[in-house]
Amino acid sequence: MNKRTLVISLVAALIGMASLAGAGWAGIVNAPADRSAYSAPALYNLGNFYARLGRPAMAVLNYERARILAPTDLDIQENLSYVRASVRLPALHSQHDRLADPNTLYWIGVLGLAITGVTLLLRRARSEHRLVLTAGAIIGGLLMALSLGDAIATSDTRHEYVVMAATPARASPTSVVEPLFTVPLADVVSVQDEHLLFALIRDTQGREGWVARRDLAPVIPSADSSTSATT
Amino acid sequence: MNTFRMTTFAAVVAAGTFIASAMQVADAAAAQRIEPTQIEMGDSARLTITASGNDASTISPPMIAGLEFVAVAQSQRIETINGVSSASTTVTYQVTPQEAGVFTIPGAGPGSAPVVLTVNPSSGRGAVSPGGAAPNARLSNLPAGSTRVTANGTAFVRLRLSKHELYVGETIPVDIQVGMRDGFVASLNGLPTLNGDAFTLNKLSSQPQRAEEIIDGQPYTVLTWHSALAAVKPGELALTIETPLTVRIRTAARPDAGLLGEGDIDDLFNDPMIQNFFGASREKEITVASAPTAFTVLALPTRDRPADFSGAVGNFSISSDVSDEKVAAGDPVTLRLRISGTGNFDRVTTPMLHDVEHWKTYSPTAKFTVEDDIGHRGEKTFEQPLIATQPGTQSLPALTFSWFDPTTRRYVVARTSPLNVAITAGTPASQGSSRVSLAPAPSRNTSASLAGDRDNQGLRPDHVDLGSTTASLMPHYYQPVYIAAPSLLLAAFSGGWFWMRRREQITLAEAEQANEFPQTDSLLESMEEARAAGDTTRFFQAARLALRGALASQWQVDPALITLAEIEARLGAGSVTARVFKLADEAAYAGATLTPADFQWWKKLVLREISNEAMS
Repeated sequence: MNKRTLVISLVAALIGMASLAGAGWAGIVNAPADRSAYSAPALYNLGNFYARLGRPAMAVLNYERARILAPTDLDIQENLSYVRASVRLPALHSQHDRLADPNTLYWIGVLGLAITGVTLLLRRARSEHRLVLTAGAIIGGLLMALSLGDAIATSDTRHEYVVMAATPARASPTSVVEPLFTVPLADVVSVQDEHLLFALIRDTQGREGWVARRDLAPVIPSADSSTSATT
Repeated sequence: MNTFRMTTFAAVVAAGTFIASAMQVADAAAAQRIEPTQIEMGDSARLTITASGNDASTISPPMIAGLEFVAVAQSQRIETINGVSSASTTVTYQVTPQEAGVFTIPGAGPGSAPVVLTVNPSSGRGAVSPGGAAPNARLSNLPAGSTRVTANGTAFVRLRLSKHELYVGETIPVDIQVGMRDGFVASLNGLPTLNGDAFTLNKLSSQPQRAEEIIDGQPYTVLTWHSALAAVKPGELALTIETPLTVRIRTAARPDAGLLGEGDIDDLFNDPMIQNFFGASREKEITVASAPTAFTVLALPTRDRPADFSGAVGNFSISSDVSDEKVAAGDPVTLRLRISGTGNFDRVTTPMLHDVEHWKTYSPTAKFTVEDDIGHRGEKTFEQPLIATQPGTQSLPALTFSWFDPTTRRYVVARTSPLNVAITAGTPASQGSSRVSLAPAPSRNTSASLAGDRDNQGLRPDHVDLGSTTASLMPHYYQPVYIAAPSLLLAAFSGGWFWMRRREQITLAEAEQANEFPQTDSLLESMEEARAAGDTTRFFQAARLALRGALASQWQVDPALITLAEIEARLGAGSVTARVFKLADEAAYAGATLTPADFQWWKKLVLREISNEAMS
């Protein structure tokens, strides 16, 4: 394999990765294999539906799910803040206010990895255009850093739950001890640990306590969760 | 005769001793009062007992099941009237109820009047009626089971239920009663529990009912919990209920009943206050079990079992409706299915609708409204959001629900009527901005659309374009299949990197073995010496000589003809060889200097160029 062949192969690989990323953005890669798929507008509309029904916990749950897919959507943030305020919950924190949705940023990271890899290989194979190739590697690295940062910021979302009914939080996973405090309806809490029918949660004020798991619904449902929405 | 006299004498002596003791007790106890006389659960009252004398140990707290007494204050008072001194001691107890009801606290001693404390449930639940039963609380109307009192006669546990034959999964109302001999049970240490794994018990009613009952001539306080019982497997099964209690038992021998007879005297010595006064009793924790209750549990028949049977057993009825019979396309409507009756509502489930043409379906939610205090009777409502995708009259198919009726011993399949919903195209003006239409609309994801665009409930309107979908809300970062993609890419690039490096090493080795440039080794050694010495001029001169020799060999010309102009013409001005020639001139005339890392980098480039020219 001479250098020209190598360069052509690497450029082809770069174009392929870019195409793959583009396909991911266009939804082709993420096209649902069945009807159990999620879309941000559908979840948002479902949140509106429950909000109009007067069921704030279900509304917040669907808004939070919609916000994962569309963190920059101002409608979702507005209605989520409105419903939270209606049940006297504190204002939103800007945890999800990111540049784009996580899946797009994931593909941006993959693209950055491809750019970095190709430019570094070219830089080693060719002695010309070293400045341009170095710049390309830096840009690729920045894209990877952007994606990695979003991955770290998104990690907490996996442990977030919405309180479906106001529930007492206790010092131990049993219902016989006196409650420490009551977790309000529709609040979003982070589950730190689980034991049998109880979950150790941390609320938005930093308080920790054990609550009954039946009073919580995961923001990111498991694959077999019955609370998943169809579109 | 002699025996009769001795018996009579002993009786008189004993009676005299008892009367003296009773008088002492009567002297010791004076009065008691409780404030307030009516409290709510969570509050506490203060019981004040005043006795003559200055010995506080003669005052002891009452023992009432359901009340906790904690001494919080003690005082003494001495009065001298006309030279005659008298002393009295007062002890104040904080009385905390453990359950609602009407409690009669007996007198602190003979001659002291009892006081009554009424404990109401927490605010909003209404007051407790005299007699201990909460208003509207039903008394047990179930047949009484056998009562097996403990050997010392202090307590019993009893099961009351309507029938002894039931099907697996069927729930039947059951009353659990715990009887406690007044004054003998210090505390109830836990709720009644099932003994065995063949049955399940619903949550017990929050507050037990209190009642008085006379069994074998002895008064018992009976607490009754209502619940629902279900069997989990078929067969001939037996069930017992257990309850932990703390009872007070005698430790000193009572007077010979043969001398004094079985009557008021016996009761008086059995009185806990009297026993406590003489220090003749102690507390002991015991577990009281009910007599075994036999059941015949039948398996559900497999014949004619509906395909959608979910395990519901009972007697139900169903109905359905929609929230709006006329909506705009894209607007959500709620399809409701109501299932009411009696039975095991935890098994009452339905998938509702899915894959209905012209409708988008969402997962249903369920809400159970209990009509009794045991979860046996009520109504379960399933609500499913639906969105019509096309205008016109759209039909929602009938819903079905099946259950097993233990009375008729047959499966029942109930079916609702299909429902029609008129779907209008576009946004009706009367429906306000909360409605959406199928007409194309600009994206609302911009801040410009925020200004004042809210419906009458303060919400921003629905989105029309449902956009792309994803199979999971879990970000790609945390899905194994997506983690594999960048990992493979990284592995491929790393492999390419190491392959290129290995290839360079092989090429250099081959070039050395070919020995096409005999002078190269000495020139390379010269470059290395210059690098070690930091002599830039010498380094590039050696490099230029090495490259010139390699090119002369490749181009089959005299090395003296290899000039910078010739190199730029053939290889380009940006080639490594041209740059080495330029840097050699710069180092010689302008005194350019390199860092150790630059030496290494340029040495590698020169070696690679030499090897490339050798291979071409």
